[in-house]
Amino acid sequence: MKQTLLHLLVLRKLGYKGSRAAKKRIIFNLILITLVVSALIFAQIFVVSMSRGIADKYALLGNGHLQIHEASLGSLSEKEGVLDVQLVAQSYALIYSPEGNKMVRLKGVEEGYFNNARTSQITLLDGVPKESTTLEQVLLSTTLARELQVGIGDRVALMLVSDDGIRPQFCVVGNLYDSGYQELDANLAFCDYDLIHRLFKGSEETYYELLVAQGSIESLKQDFKAEGYAVTSWDEENFTVATNLNTSRQAVLGVMVAVAMLCGYFISELSRELVEDDKHQIAMLTLLGARHSLIRNVYFNTVMIVTVLSILGGTLLGVLLSSNLSPLLSAVADRSIPSLSYYLLEFTVVYPLGDILTIVLVLLLVSVFSVQFSLRRVKRIEPLSCTHFD
Amino acid sequence: MMKSTEVLTLEAVSKSFPATLRGGEPIQILEGVSLSLNRSTSIAITGRSGSGKSTLLQISAGLLSADSGSIRFEGKEITKLDDEHLSRLRSRSMGFIFQSSLLLDDFTALENVQISAMIAGSSEKEASRKSLAMLELVGMQDRLGHTSDQLSGGERQRVAIARALVNEPSLIFADEPTGSLDERNAALVEDLLFSLVAEREVALMLITHNLAFASRCNTVYQLHNRNVEVRS
Repeated sequence: MKQTLLHLLVLRKLGYKGSRAAKKRIIFNLILITLVVSALIFAQIFVVSMSRGIADKYALLGNGHLQIHEASLGSLSEKEGVLDVQLVAQSYALIYSPEGNKMVRLKGVEEGYFNNARTSQITLLDGVPKESTTLEQVLLSTTLARELQVGIGDRVALMLVSDDGIRPQFCVVGNLYDSGYQELDANLAFCDYDLIHRLFKGSEETYYELLVAQGSIESLKQDFKAEGYAVTSWDEENFTVATNLNTSRQAVLGVMVAVAMLCGYFISELSRELVEDDKHQIAMLTLLGARHSLIRNVYFNTVMIVTVLSILGGTLLGVLLSSNLSPLLSAVADRSIPSLSYYLLEFTVVYPLGDILTIVLVLLLVSVFSVQFSLRRVKRIEPLSCTHFD
Repeated sequence: MMKSTEVLTLEAVSKSFPATLRGGEPIQILEGVSLSLNRSTSIAITGRSGSGKSTLLQISAGLLSADSGSIRFEGKEITKLDDEHLSRLRSRSMGFIFQSSLLLDDFTALENVQISAMIAGSSEKEASRKSLAMLELVGMQDRLGHTSDQLSGGERQRVAIARALVNEPSLIFADEPTGSLDERNAALVEDLLFSLVAEREVALMLITHNLAFASRCNTVYQLHNRNVEVRS
């Protein structure tokens, strides 16, 4: 019967058949907590998805998930989880146009390099050279082309440094690509695999670039190592980028957890407010013989029902918002914000369940403790305080 | 063995309050008060405003601690009971009626009475049955679903009486129960209170300024000079 009484009191506190003011307060807090939770979940999904997107750009266009270096080249054994193997040669060159110059990483790739996985990471511009030419072609990014003020069909010069001195090699811009991540695009150009060998005459680096299934990177790396290959993963090749992405993700999670803790404290304010407003009723119930534990449970359950509903609603809203990022990102992309070069404006949304669970659990735990703590005040309300005396 | 009919016994009860919040010379309110109250009897405490009538009621009900003396409720020394036991005693053996009816705002008349029964341990069904019967007894059967703000002062007080009696307590503490009512409603509430107290063999401790109301009790005490004396 204590449970029935508890249900009756909790339902009334939640606004069921209760006063309009009680209903309003509950709904206001429900909406407020839902919005905060949805913002936290949305931000975390956004950050994780973007850093995963950036990592994919580096892995698919920059270095592959795994690199097996020249010294150990031979016939690679077939392994489960290896999706694509490409022979790549790379070096660095100063690229010149009449309007500018830039030191770039020039990757020589074979036909077939731009498979589905890689083309999904870039947009190739349509266009044909302005005039027929016998010059070798290079593939530049739109970012680099903008900097050099060249377009498809324009001539550029690669300044090559060799034992014979510095000599220019003229090429034509065969096409332009855009990976969406300007930081990577600004320093990366592609050309034919054979061209690299002809230009650099052995000073280039040749390696196998492997695309593997997500989650198999580390195990395959160990397998290849065990077979004597000199193998590195994309995060070792791009240590700074990988560390930055990881640190950013952890820092953002830390901030989200801190905000969740603050939100938990705010929830205890709701319980404090409810108790403060209901002092008269609490005193009344105590006078009638209700135990403090019952009264505490009424307010604890009320606040926790609001909290759990808000967390569920907020999580769903956050997931829903983040699954519809495209319109938001398009709106952002339409604005010419310089700092956007450090962000991706197109990426696949991933749902970091561990991070979401961490935020939700922290919020829930902090609210449980802070609400319990704030409900100590129930005991201080004397039954007499509801009466008027001589 | 015959069950004792003694419900409340106060022996040499004293109470003082600090003069200010910061302390100072305490003000003695009660000094060596002794009285007793048996089942089916009623006593009235009268006296000037500020004489300590309500303090005496609160101490008798265990709502306020005495500085010294003994307070026995149905033979149990209540000064030695902890909060939990006092709560249980209040819910099952005591009923309260105050000047302002003190109903729970968001609840209907029926729920107000029902909650009191449920706090005392009745199941929802039993509480509902007892509350309906009690509200019918006080003539509120047509106002069961009305909340406090939809009831008149007299109606609220009738609900408060039903609530005080629903758990069949041994003793009703009534502090100026008609103090905020007009003459007609006051008379109705007085009649109702005395008839139910007599019918249910409950003891009644009544605090009032109204001597005519007080005179309906078996014994009338006057609180004077920090102690009670039987009023002739």
